[in-house]
Amino acid sequence: MASICVDGGFSPILSAMDRYNVAIIGGGGTGAAAAYDLTLRGLKVALFEHGELTSGTTGRHHGQLHSGARYVLGDINIARECMAETLILRRIAKDCIEYNQGLFLALNEEDCALTAPFVEACLSAGIPARELPVGSALAMESRINPKTKRAVLVPDGTIDAYRLAMAFFASAKAQGARIYHFSEVVGIDVTSGTVKSLLIHDLLNGREYRVAADAVINASGPWADRVAALAGIEVPVTAAVGTMVAVEGRITNMVVSRLRRPGDGDIIVPQRRLSIIGSTQRNTDKPDGLQPQKEEVEFLLAAADELVPGFSRQPFRAAWSAARPLAGRGNDDGRAISRDIAVFDHGPLDGVRGFFSIIGGKATTLRIMGEKVSDAVASYLGVQVASSSADQALLPHSAYWRLP
Amino acid sequence: MRLILRIRRGFPSASRYELFTLELDGSATLLDALEYLRTGLVPDLVYRHSCHHGSCGTCSVCVDGKEVLACLMRLDSLSPKQPGAESADGEGAGEPPIITVEPLAVFEPLADLAIDPGLLFRAQPEGISLLRESEPTAIPDPAAGEMDYPLKSYQFEDCIECGCCQSACPECENSGVATPTSSSEPAFMGPAALAALRRETINHPDRLEDLLERASLPDGVVACKRHLACSRVCPRAVYPAKHIELLRREITKGSPEI
Repeated sequence: MASICVDGGFSPILSAMDRYNVAIIGGGGTGAAAAYDLTLRGLKVALFEHGELTSGTTGRHHGQLHSGARYVLGDINIARECMAETLILRRIAKDCIEYNQGLFLALNEEDCALTAPFVEACLSAGIPARELPVGSALAMESRINPKTKRAVLVPDGTIDAYRLAMAFFASAKAQGARIYHFSEVVGIDVTSGTVKSLLIHDLLNGREYRVAADAVINASGPWADRVAALAGIEVPVTAAVGTMVAVEGRITNMVVSRLRRPGDGDIIVPQRRLSIIGSTQRNTDKPDGLQPQKEEVEFLLAAADELVPGFSRQPFRAAWSAARPLAGRGNDDGRAISRDIAVFDHGPLDGVRGFFSIIGGKATTLRIMGEKVSDAVASYLGVQVASSSADQALLPHSAYWRLP
Repeated sequence: MRLILRIRRGFPSASRYELFTLELDGSATLLDALEYLRTGLVPDLVYRHSCHHGSCGTCSVCVDGKEVLACLMRLDSLSPKQPGAESADGEGAGEPPIITVEPLAVFEPLADLAIDPGLLFRAQPEGISLLRESEPTAIPDPAAGEMDYPLKSYQFEDCIECGCCQSACPECENSGVATPTSSSEPAFMGPAALAALRRETINHPDRLEDLLERASLPDGVVACKRHLACSRVCPRAVYPAKHIELLRREITKGSPEI
């Protein structure tokens, strides 16, 4: 297991340290999926997360399983990717999804004019969207706006954000991945242009130690620039803050969206006995300790009332904010930046061989993000085994805590 | 509002209480306060959190001895009663409230406020459904035209596996803290596992016999002494004690000797 390594860059390392093929920084959905994908390819993997697993962006997302319909008018590639991953997740992570489909509602003339192109774009992206008579939509979900002019049925759903990521962690752990929570990476050692080892601060005992790795993946989401800086590299990431509000009461069973180009406060996602309206978007320099703003909460509740009148009269439960990691830099609120997935191989890009960053994407596309960065790393390590993370059902999230 | 958080810190081998005076909006939650500390003065503060809206069950802690989800505990709902106000010299009035925050009991402590939730998951019978059929939000209207949409909807079971019930249960506490490496099994499987087991008898009546057999073992319903603490602290109104009672009746019905 452990080997002696004497070429450390910070100080001569005389004690034995654990050596891995791949070390992953960041315990969110992307890191979990990458750990699973790589262990399935036979690699020895360790993952380090600063806080509890899923405590960054992953656990706090809106909870929508995206069919991709939301993105068809803006970016058909992301829409296609969402649909493909939706089908895979419904197969491999059934227990993590309330699959009740979704309704897009046209509430004014402008929305109505968009309906036909919307359905057409969905179909060409492989999303089986279908316009329903408004009466049928109201019969399915009696609380949607009775002034709805047109309604489209799409295969959306609700994800349990925590359990989906934990199902990947459980499956990775069962394959032999070592997962360390409360373990902050405080140093990345690069020697002769190649990544060599990580310096870890273990918050559970206050000690520091070093692990050697042949390759390192930076899957730290909106913190990707800070992590990359440890290796002396700049990574373009925009932390776009989204606020969400949950009220008590399951107002609908289906996800309800506004039929228009993606904007703020246009999706209601039911979950358990809750209904959640999201989201807003603003940029931040500091993705830590985010607080929802009063105006955002008021705006969201008013927007929710347009889709489902009376939403704001349900008992308030919680308001919270999460930082979406968008690949690239934007000067505006970030809506203009693509949700596309970006894999950076910092060898050719920045002269640090073996160091990779993965940024962007959505909760629905966590598995394919893991697959894409694993493809790049496997190719770098000369591993020929292809990804098989879509092939079989994941272990239940609870297995993570059952396994020793 | 101003308040003082008295937080248990350190590792299981050496813990202590540290006091932090905070000035935060009353609408902020206890989790917001912990986040404020961690991203400022106390970067090594260890606690669990994920969804921030009471759905993941990771941020459960004890506040003045009572189990709560930190993300739903608004600071202005914390008791204004304070040791200072009650002090004999009468000079405490106007002092900010002191709120004691500790990790859950029963579970294996890790550091500061974090515990290992493994006990809860190991106690559950494997293969329990996490989804149940959802109540329709609308009544189908035959006049509305042809309905080829499947009217059955599904939602997650209410239990978010936060461990509050396990921590509050005196019988679980008497069972001792179980770790993955400890050789002895806990003497009581706990309220969450029994509630999940009862829900499974409804979702999968075909498993009823096996499930009742499991619930009849010595660490099952007989180990529950009806303290009802579980139902009092449950943040999702699962009422585990009710499920345990219903299991007890079901078992008694099947085998009169129990």
